[in-house]
Amino acid sequence: MSEDIFLRSVFATAIILIAALGYWLFNQRLMLRARNNLSTLFNTLPNKPVIVYFTTPDCAPCKTVQRPAINHVSKLFGERLQVVEIDATERPDLAKIWGVMSVPTTFLLDARGEARYVNNGVARAEKLMEQLETLSDYSI
Amino acid sequence: MTSQTLQKVDHSALKTNQIIIITLNILAFILNLPVLAAFVALVMGIGSALKIPGFGFVYKNLLKPRGWVKPDILNDNPEPHRFAQFLGFLFMTAGSAALFFGASILGWGLVWLVVALAALNAFGGFCVGCAIYYWLSRFQLPGFSKQPPAGTFPGMKPKAGARV
Repeated sequence: MSEDIFLRSVFATAIILIAALGYWLFNQRLMLRARNNLSTLFNTLPNKPVIVYFTTPDCAPCKTVQRPAINHVSKLFGERLQVVEIDATERPDLAKIWGVMSVPTTFLLDARGEARYVNNGVARAEKLMEQLETLSDYSI
Repeated sequence: MTSQTLQKVDHSALKTNQIIIITLNILAFILNLPVLAAFVALVMGIGSALKIPGFGFVYKNLLKPRGWVKPDILNDNPEPHRFAQFLGFLFMTAGSAALFFGASILGWGLVWLVVALAALNAFGGFCVGCAIYYWLSRFQLPGFSKQPPAGTFPGMKPKAGARV
């Protein structure tokens, strides 16, 4: 009986870990793609953190939540932050290259152009702030 | 999206309900207790009938009065959440029945499906049952009349601005 419970606990833990690992790997893959395809957006290193924001014209949460959040963060960081907005309907090639499967998707790149975070779905201002503040020398 | 009267929906009650469903279902699996899965199905069924979150009483009588979980009241439609719970009830009932008839893989598979969907809702803010409700409402099916709150993607938790 206790062996059965132990095995089932292991199995349940494995399912939960596999789900978490799957999500983590998916994000790592996106960040790797972003790293490898930086040249599709920049000719030279940005030298400041960048938010790469994928959206579409008919994406409601993009208009109502994501863009205001990015505008808010952008105001706070001013010149120390660059925001690149990409309409995935106008640039499906970029969405494909960067591995974007849904909108909004936001990538946070550090000053060296390394993708450090990816947010699938809406990322609120507080979350973007937290992520930006972990990038060295860019706390406000 | 049309202008419609939204109601105050406490998303903390919904989230508590989902987390209890996840916890009890995982416990049912670990302890190999189909009766616990059936109990979850029963509570979800009662909740659907009474138009309340099945395990909402835990939030209402214990967590909220003691301040352990704060209300998260948003302008939203309660109907899609009820429909989502009803769908969960159907899956749980089918899963429990399968377990009682000895179809363990099918039964636990359905239970884990409910766990996955509840987790997506509780931690990802996306309610698949609600998205199905809004999708059906596009076909003007009787009983599916509500539209997503303005500016909210069907199934997603309403934006923070909808907080009341």
